[in-house]
Amino acid sequence: MALTKEQYKAFEDVVGAENISDDKAIMPAYYNTDFAAIILPGNTAEVQACVKLCNKFKRQFRPICTGWSGMFPKDLILLDLRRMNHIIEINEKNMYAVVEPYVISAELQAEVMKRGFNFCVKGAGTNCSAMLRGHGHLDQTTSGDDRNHLAIEWVTPEGEIVRSGALGSADEWFCGDGPGPSIRAILTSAVPPGVTPGVFTKAAVKLYHWPGPAAYPIQGHSPKYTLSEIPPNMMARYYSFPSVEKMWNAEIKLGENEICYELMGFNAAMVACNITTCNEEEEVVFAKMSKEVQGPGFFVIIGGNSRDDFEFKKKVLEQIVKENDGKSLKTVENPEIEGILLCQCTRISASIRETFRAGGAFNSIPIMGQRDLTIKWAIGAGKAKEPLIKKGLIVDDGGAFFGWGVEQGHLGKTEIFCKFDPQNAEAKKAVEDWQKEQSHRAFTERYFASTMGPQDEIGPALMNYNLWWNKIVHALDPNGVSPEGGALV
Amino acid sequence: MIEKEKLVKIAGTSNVSYDRAQLDEYARDISFVNAVRPECVVKPTSTEIVQQLIKLANETATPLVPVSSGPPHFRGDTVPSIGGAVIVDMSKMKKIINVDRARRVAMVEPGVTFGELIAAAEKEGIRLNLPLLPRKSKTVIGSLLEREPVIMPKYQWDISDPLACVEVIFGSGDEFRTGQAAGPGTVAEQWKVGGVQKAPYGPGVASWHRIIQGAQGTMGIVTWASMRCELIPKAEEPFVVGADNYTTLLELASWLVRLRMVNECFILNSTNLAAIFAKKWTKDYQALKDALPTWILFYNVAGYEYLPEERVSSFIKDITDITKRLGVEAVKAIGGISANEILKTVQQPSEEPYWKLRYKGGCEDILFLTINDKLEGQISTMFDTVKKSGYPSSDVGVYIQPIVQGTGVHCEFNLFYDPANASEVNRVKNLNNAAVKALLTNGAFFSRPYGENSKMIMNRDAATISVLNKLKKMFDPNNVMNPGKVCF
Repeated sequence: MALTKEQYKAFEDVVGAENISDDKAIMPAYYNTDFAAIILPGNTAEVQACVKLCNKFKRQFRPICTGWSGMFPKDLILLDLRRMNHIIEINEKNMYAVVEPYVISAELQAEVMKRGFNFCVKGAGTNCSAMLRGHGHLDQTTSGDDRNHLAIEWVTPEGEIVRSGALGSADEWFCGDGPGPSIRAILTSAVPPGVTPGVFTKAAVKLYHWPGPAAYPIQGHSPKYTLSEIPPNMMARYYSFPSVEKMWNAEIKLGENEICYELMGFNAAMVACNITTCNEEEEVVFAKMSKEVQGPGFFVIIGGNSRDDFEFKKKVLEQIVKENDGKSLKTVENPEIEGILLCQCTRISASIRETFRAGGAFNSIPIMGQRDLTIKWAIGAGKAKEPLIKKGLIVDDGGAFFGWGVEQGHLGKTEIFCKFDPQNAEAKKAVEDWQKEQSHRAFTERYFASTMGPQDEIGPALMNYNLWWNKIVHALDPNGVSPEGGALV
Repeated sequence: MIEKEKLVKIAGTSNVSYDRAQLDEYARDISFVNAVRPECVVKPTSTEIVQQLIKLANETATPLVPVSSGPPHFRGDTVPSIGGAVIVDMSKMKKIINVDRARRVAMVEPGVTFGELIAAAEKEGIRLNLPLLPRKSKTVIGSLLEREPVIMPKYQWDISDPLACVEVIFGSGDEFRTGQAAGPGTVAEQWKVGGVQKAPYGPGVASWHRIIQGAQGTMGIVTWASMRCELIPKAEEPFVVGADNYTTLLELASWLVRLRMVNECFILNSTNLAAIFAKKWTKDYQALKDALPTWILFYNVAGYEYLPEERVSSFIKDITDITKRLGVEAVKAIGGISANEILKTVQQPSEEPYWKLRYKGGCEDILFLTINDKLEGQISTMFDTVKKSGYPSSDVGVYIQPIVQGTGVHCEFNLFYDPANASEVNRVKNLNNAAVKALLTNGAFFSRPYGENSKMIMNRDAATISVLNKLKKMFDPNNVMNPGKVCF
């Protein structure tokens, strides 16, 4: 239902005529949905006023920022946060940055690298919101999931402004927990099946030391960039191993000895798509590399704070790889390729190549938590991909999975996906069936439960967490104006 | 009120006490909260008993006050705020459930103390990220749930670390397991397939353990918890750096933590270091204090399985570049205390008597979180307030702990006093109140609000209280869990 004239005017009074539209021609530029209106608030006060009006008029709203994903039923008010794109603070002494929702990771990373820092850029890519919760290529040293947020400013579904932790009590961003129990427990974003209702308007994220240069010496042109030289005390390599067990043993030893800046459990297919500029080239390179690798492997970056530190790390890396019969992929030892990977895998700028380019779509099963456990499951999920590859329904990646250690191997992430042509109905169904079967197997064999699965089955097996969450949402959003499923990507 | 027969039926005769002398031990602690004698004390021996107790408390509107550590208690959080309370003393649940070297994780029941777990973990080649010298009777879970700062900030990725997962019986009587422990399946089923209870987040979008941490037992009772552990290094080289001013030491500590070159890392003033290391009181204490510089930074460089000595020497070389730039010198001993002795000491709980009680028998702590740039002003504020109160400035102990990989600082003032001396008690009580007020005005963040000051602290953030009250209503609808604490 469209907004009434009175309602439209009320929202217009908040954001100005140029920042609201109910023009049907505008909607498809966002999503294939008839929104009641699209509103672009410019700051927290405007967000708050809009949310209060939504409560007054009993209209549902959904915030988006960079808008990579999301489900949008008809008649929603879309709060497009693109005007809230400011880096509020970079605190070098206490290693955090405060951002608004539309600051993308590339922008924040460029600024913090100048100051000798990096942060957890999510695997979704560097063009996504810097305040997104999630995992990425840098998790080995920048952690992941919900563990990078400090204080958060949150407009609740009823339009109250809540500032978590030190922000609410002392006007500082460095801590998001307390006083007393932490409301950070419920402040989360973009993990299905629901997200915290309301709008996050600012968040502090942790920064981490960056041993690399303030800016990369880039050369070349899009889509093929590389580095004119490898920065001092940095090195990128890909190692393959004769078995998953040996790969895992090397991965965990590298974590325990705190050697790698990045340890990304790429398979050869993902290396191939990173270093190539089109599908045809990728196919050739993958075929070549498939012969070169001896089994599963990982990509690593080491970065030293000094020459000695770098040499020490290099020596330990080589020793651990040797002990586990690992083999360095010659292709990556080529400085041009090494430069491409070094740059792309720290800037996280090749996510689209890794996921969408080959088939046009992908369906994925990502698991966060205990790496050795999820690897065990993923071996089976990989084998289950093979018939689909043989039938030509999905892109041939050797049936591989990927993943990495988080926090130097304390935690981990494993993911496996099928890339396919979304126009091919048979392929689409086969992939959906594979995803369902493998998620179900993980659940019944007690590896993990995908919370994207059927809630009536998953919920009771996970302490009825969904019922508790529903209670929380209902308490926070008594008018039901902030339905779940929003995205802050 | 719960009838005695019902309690006995649930917990067993030997686990229920109405003995007045015993109840008096729970009626007060070293803090300045009012003494309130509980109705009785129950010592559960299983999760099922805890759950039955909570259900019974809901039926009878009986307040429950959970306790896990042994005395002396310091914060008032385990003293009932109202009459008629049942103390739920978890000290009999003492199982070390699991210690897993490969996954660097341990799991314990609430009654397990640091001393007990350290020994068990060491056998497997792992260790805990400890708070600074906890008292012998302090339980691991008690410390984890209080978000006590830990002495290896490099390994504290999140302020909730090293806590991983918990099993909790909420005030509603519902059982819940947080993080990876939630499922699918029971904990035993997870073990069978190779799973451990380590990932703290979830299930779903929430991080449920964060609601239980810092709650002072107001949300439920934890019946076990798991925690991440760290490897025992193959080589360690500790150092101390002394200075008259702590600001340079804080800058040095920030760089050491940022570059992840050190494990244990903290700053103490001479009062606290002397209080920890003086052997003969009070003669040695004063002599030691006089021999020490005003501020002392301690740090430890470590190497692991591969080329440990090479790693240590490479780090020492890099650290020397920083100390030279800052104009300070790292040494192996200071005021007659060796860095090795400090290292050995802080890797265990405090020897008896507890270090904070050695000087005068009593100690009041004022603790808060802050950022580097504000600390100087806050320390000045504290000492101005101390001066006005008449408390001897030289008796104020200070502990500065970088937290969460350098994103903040825990600052703690330790006020030593003689509990038998009414005038000293009053002076410290008044000083505590005035100092918290002044520090709040100067931007200190009291993330762990205790005792009489907690209202003053919580009142500064009405919006957060409003959300917390909504959560409290869900997890403890009848407010049976430790009523009167935090903001409930």
